[in-house]
Amino acid sequence: MTFSKASILVTTALALMLPASSPCAELPETVCIQCHASLPDKLGAPVNLWRKSIHAENGISCNSCHGGDPKNAPEAMSPARGFIGVPSEVDTPGFCGRCHPGVLKDYQASAHGKALGKGGPTCVTCHGNHDIVKASLEIINEKSCSRCHSFDRARIIRDAMQQTEAHIQGIDRRISAFQATGVDTERLGKALFAVRNSFHSLFHEVNVTRVKSESSRINAELAKLDEDLRVIEDSRAQRKVAGGVVVAGLLLVALFTHLLRKTFK
Amino acid sequence: MSWLKRLYRWVDLRIGVGEIADKELTGYLLPRNINEWYSLGSILLVAFALQVVTGMLLLVYYVPDADKAFQSVNFIMNEVPYGWLIRLCHAVGSNTMIAVLILHMLSTLVMGSYKSPRELNWVTGFLLFSLVQGISLTGYLAPWSQLSFWATTVATNSVSALPVAGPGMVEFLRGGKLVGPSTLGRFFALHVAFLPLVIGVVIAVHVFLLKRTGISTPPFGKSDTKNAWQGDSYRYESHPGGIPFFPHFALQDLTSICIYLAIFFGVVFFWPTMPFTPDAFVPADPFKTPAHIKPEWYFLANYQTLKILPNELLGLTVQGVAMTFLALIPFIDRSPERHPLKRPLFLTLVVAGIALWIGLTVWGHLS
Repeated sequence: MTFSKASILVTTALALMLPASSPCAELPETVCIQCHASLPDKLGAPVNLWRKSIHAENGISCNSCHGGDPKNAPEAMSPARGFIGVPSEVDTPGFCGRCHPGVLKDYQASAHGKALGKGGPTCVTCHGNHDIVKASLEIINEKSCSRCHSFDRARIIRDAMQQTEAHIQGIDRRISAFQATGVDTERLGKALFAVRNSFHSLFHEVNVTRVKSESSRINAELAKLDEDLRVIEDSRAQRKVAGGVVVAGLLLVALFTHLLRKTFK
Repeated sequence: MSWLKRLYRWVDLRIGVGEIADKELTGYLLPRNINEWYSLGSILLVAFALQVVTGMLLLVYYVPDADKAFQSVNFIMNEVPYGWLIRLCHAVGSNTMIAVLILHMLSTLVMGSYKSPRELNWVTGFLLFSLVQGISLTGYLAPWSQLSFWATTVATNSVSALPVAGPGMVEFLRGGKLVGPSTLGRFFALHVAFLPLVIGVVIAVHVFLLKRTGISTPPFGKSDTKNAWQGDSYRYESHPGGIPFFPHFALQDLTSICIYLAIFFGVVFFWPTMPFTPDAFVPADPFKTPAHIKPEWYFLANYQTLKILPNELLGLTVQGVAMTFLALIPFIDRSPERHPLKRPLFLTLVVAGIALWIGLTVWGHLS
């Protein structure tokens, strides 16, 4: 190969490696976080609260609720870019309900929703605003409920739902464990999400009989998920048996060849 | 005469396979005191072959596109018949191959097999070690998971500490300011085309050098353990009266390979999460930095060194000096003695080096 041909090849190879603008390259953090994280007091506090929230865990960032442009600092809080800011008390359920319409409906039908604007709680009263916690039975607790009323009825409802909640959490843990080993749990995850949502719609329910009958239906759905997970567990057990046979076979061959070599010696 | 014998005779008459077998198998004599450590090279050839085969099979379904890579790996793991086995073999194999490479280099160090005239064997072996680390790093990005994305971000970012050229080099490596689809494109090309080819060529050179110098005699079980080569003329180290490669040492190779494969499949079937963390099964998200991203175990010592030293440039310099020292050790250690117990300073340095590496690795894991 002549020098000129070689140099063309090298130049072409280097040209191919030159940085090209990436169509999908994205900023690691939104400008909201970048700016507010360094601000003091109540302007900076939401960032740390949000980081611990279920929203952060699921990639729901500031702009998902408050609007604005998360990639352009000057436009980040521009109403023209859909920036909303802090909603008033009566607007709060509608604010959250844009993404949680089913829960909004349950809330509006509940005693809590009917007392909106008359001293009743909004979503953030029980769920927090930036440090939003995952909806679970733990939210129904004496300390939280007795801020406004007695805990008696809430306790009866919570106890009725406890077993189903434990079942859901157990299945969730099993799905997460499989997901952490590369099992495609998307379908199971979605099914559990639907069941959990259906169950959580009872969280705003104050009719004890309905809570009990709905819990039975939900438990039947969970039993189907249990069966699907058992099939995966069985296949994992079969893999281990096959693996045991392979490993034992290889060790036997190793022993045989070792002894054969000693025989030759 | 059976058809098999007739076929053998037909081939032998044309290319003399019998002569090759006599020379390279039954007539290829090895030192009588050869030990099990000498079969690590054969294990590495098997491990590399397994990586090539499983890599080729993965290529059938893998899509090197940032939008599709994660889904394609997920598809391989869950939908393709035995795809999980092929992918796990590839992922576990990259780890076990590096472990065996380290053992191979350590045995060469301890037995003084790198000494003249085998300097080039050592240098090519060291080059292979670096290339295998490189191919592992580039392959790490392929699944386009959170682990891939952020580990590659951290690994490529450390280059930015180099003065003047550092930031430009990071952009060159990534194909842009940040890890993105361009990075996947170039890492994929390096992983499946460039590096395997280079590794294949360097393996061929390494084996060629082994064949030209002859296999070294272990320093154990001998009274004279000094290097006999005077450096006056080329010499092939033959072993008259030694044991034939076939069947004697071929059986040792087979034993070692089976033990390696038993451990390898033991990990694949009973500890399949060994090469992964849960982040390995979450799609890459440039907006969400996982809490604890750490490199593979064989990079943990480097990672911890960068963490404990006051700045990254110093960390890279220390690592560069250590790696250069290791690469050039045959040119630094010129003493003819090969037995480790007769080289107390060297042995102390090796033990201290191993202890430091293990210590930094454990520290990096726990930190």
